[in-house]
Amino acid sequence: MRPILTIVLNDLRIFLSQRGNLVGLLVIPVLLTVVIGWSLGQFVGGGQARLRVDLIDLDATGMSARLIDELRATNGALVLCPLDNDADDYCSLDGEALDLNRAIERARAGGTEALIVVPAGYAAALENFQRASIDYYSMSDPLQPDAVLQSLEAVLQRVNGASMTAGVAGALLDNVTTGLDLPAFDESVRKEFLGALYRNAEQKLIEMPAPVSFETGEEEAGGDASDNGFNQSAPGMGSLYVMFTVLGGMAVLLRERRQWTLQRLMALPLSRAQILGSKIVVYFVLGMIQYMIVFAVGGVAGMDFGDDPLALLAVMAAFVLCITALTFALAPWIRSEGQARGFVLLLSLSLAPLGGAWWPLEIVPDFMRTLGHLSPVAWAMDGFQDLIWYSGGFGDVLPEIGVLLAAAAVLFVVGVRGFRYG
Amino acid sequence: METIVDAQNLRKTYRRSDGPDIEAVKGVDLSIRRGEIFSLLGPNGAGKTTTISMISGLVSPTEGDAVIGGHSITKQPMAAKRLMGFVPQEIALYPELSARQNLLFFGRMYGLGGRKLSRRVDDLLAFLELHERRNDRIDTFSGGMKRRVNIAAGLLHKPQLIYMDEPTVGIDPQSRRRILDTVKQLRDEDGMTVLYTTHLMEEAQELSDRVGIMDHGEIIAMGTHAELTQQVGEEDRLEFTVSGGVADGAPARIQREVAGVTRVLYDAPEQAGAESVEPAAARLTVFARHGRTALPPIIQVLDSAGLVIQSVAVREPDLEAVFLALTGRELRD
Ligand SMILES: Nc1ncnc2c1ncn2[C@@H]1O[C@H](COP(=O)(O)OP(=O)(O)OP(=O)(O)O)[C@@H](O)[C@H]1O
Ligand SMILES: [Mg+2]
Repeated sequence: MRPILTIVLNDLRIFLSQRGNLVGLLVIPVLLTVVIGWSLGQFVGGGQARLRVDLIDLDATGMSARLIDELRATNGALVLCPLDNDADDYCSLDGEALDLNRAIERARAGGTEALIVVPAGYAAALENFQRASIDYYSMSDPLQPDAVLQSLEAVLQRVNGASMTAGVAGALLDNVTTGLDLPAFDESVRKEFLGALYRNAEQKLIEMPAPVSFETGEEEAGGDASDNGFNQSAPGMGSLYVMFTVLGGMAVLLRERRQWTLQRLMALPLSRAQILGSKIVVYFVLGMIQYMIVFAVGGVAGMDFGDDPLALLAVMAAFVLCITALTFALAPWIRSEGQARGFVLLLSLSLAPLGGAWWPLEIVPDFMRTLGHLSPVAWAMDGFQDLIWYSGGFGDVLPEIGVLLAAAAVLFVVGVRGFRYG
Repeated sequence: METIVDAQNLRKTYRRSDGPDIEAVKGVDLSIRRGEIFSLLGPNGAGKTTTISMISGLVSPTEGDAVIGGHSITKQPMAAKRLMGFVPQEIALYPELSARQNLLFFGRMYGLGGRKLSRRVDDLLAFLELHERRNDRIDTFSGGMKRRVNIAAGLLHKPQLIYMDEPTVGIDPQSRRRILDTVKQLRDEDGMTVLYTTHLMEEAQELSDRVGIMDHGEIIAMGTHAELTQQVGEEDRLEFTVSGGVADGAPARIQREVAGVTRVLYDAPEQAGAESVEPAAARLTVFARHGRTALPPIIQVLDSAGLVIQSVAVREPDLEAVFLALTGRELRD
């Protein structure tokens, strides 16, 4: 055990005394983490995502008020002007009233995301089980998803759906009574029955998951993590640079053979397993140091570490172990240090984006997400996301840790088998 | 005397996918006695390094085995390696570390530590006159300084047996002197056994108790200096450099007319290029039982053949002569 420790400490000292290595371990990853962290933060809105939407309620009934409430509940990012204007005048109303013409003008000029008009007679239409329409104005690109419109449609589907159900039931009821020649229902009984049906259907639709979910908006209300760009950039850049640093170990045996220190080690009373083992430990430790550096930067920038630091550490360790195993599985096949450098770049720069180190895998098409999970980075990022974004615990990341460790085990077997001496 | 290294039928064949296999060592038997300096002498590519690599456990033999202090290097490598120190032909040091850090590291690897190790390292650095540069990085050292640190790294744990593979390559005469003295001192004061390889006849001659001469992967002669030179008889070797036309018939006349001459070797002059100013010189080697008495008549013959003698040397029987006699080639080429 002591010789291994001696080799590990010696190798770490050599690695860390190299100015070039420090640039790769410290300077560049820190800069990239900061730059990407900041730009992602800007993108998400540096705090809360807010969408300015004008809403004019010409109906002004209890029913339209319900519609507005539902809209707020469906997407917390919406700021409905003028109703929800804040003290800072987020709606930019300058204290003036908002009438239909001004609102249309604002929407056309791009001052608002959209304008929603609840027409007069909206409630009446619903109550008579007719389709109630809402007017929507927006200058947004019709080919792009429009978060406001989607929220509105989700609400309308619910409201109209309930109304339609009751309407159809009412028609059915009338048909049945006439068809069977039964005495007509008392009007108040009929209304009460259909009203109950309407409320019931509405309840059912509310309980059903909304077809479009705007969870990010809702979670922001709870002070969630997604608003800090470092929550993506630190795990992402950390994982990328862990690969750069650790995969570099592919060439360590070649280099030590070239400078004959490997031969000197082999002339010592040491087993080959001890020599290989100590190199593996060195690169594992370097990988963990790399993660620590990048996460420390994230910490300074106020990123969230979730509720379970031990689980976070376990995900890091599993990923680093997996990459270390990959490194030493490939090492026996490498013929030159130049070839190793090429491999490091190729692997890091393909596995990282594939696995969602640069951007979250949520935003890529389904098949890319599936393909992405060929990359160990994807499993690590899933784990980090569970812990950091969704405040998960150890149990939530066990599958990810399991996959990474299983891959590591297989790769280690390959590596030890392939380990040859010239 | 007790044997410390006993190698039997060591053989190493490097398989190549793109050509014929290389038989680097073809069945070497070697036995080294405790407390002696044993040299492997041979030209480049003779298989010296490959032999040392097999008996130090760096390279596994294709065939055969070596027993080091009672432990087979192939079956009990740990026990065998504990007995030996190793000075490779190449500089085997971490270039990024200082001389002192390198030595401390390898000392720790041999299980040394603490004040004892640090004293030993400082002693060795002072002994090799590197004390002033001890904290400088190895990659700022000159070739000769690196060599000295390379040697020190093999001596740290005062092994019973040390392998030194061409430790004087590429260094100035002063440093070489110091290294040769060090090697003798190791034997005489510390009782170490030394296996030394070189392609320099003078080194083997000065240092060794016994010499094995290697060529093309085989040991072609082995013994003390006296035993080996006896193999070529009591002949002296007279080396002439001559110029001035063809030595037509001169070698044959020397052999015929000069008393005591047994053999004459004639190296035709190298084709002088057009740019060459010097006249082309030929080499003539004459083996004679009494070199000094044979010299005047030989000079006469050469004179009468119209050849100009540029230099003459009379050499008593040495390892060079042995190599020449056994292979027909000179060691230096
Ligand atoms: N790893 C190897 N693969 C293939 N051939 C090798 C290898 N190592 C040595 N050889 C070959 O084996 C032969 C003997 O080499 P070796 O290094 O043992 O010679 P040497 O006597 O030490 O020479 P030198 O004085 O130049 O150091 C050479 O022909 C060399 O090319
Ligand atoms: Mg050699």
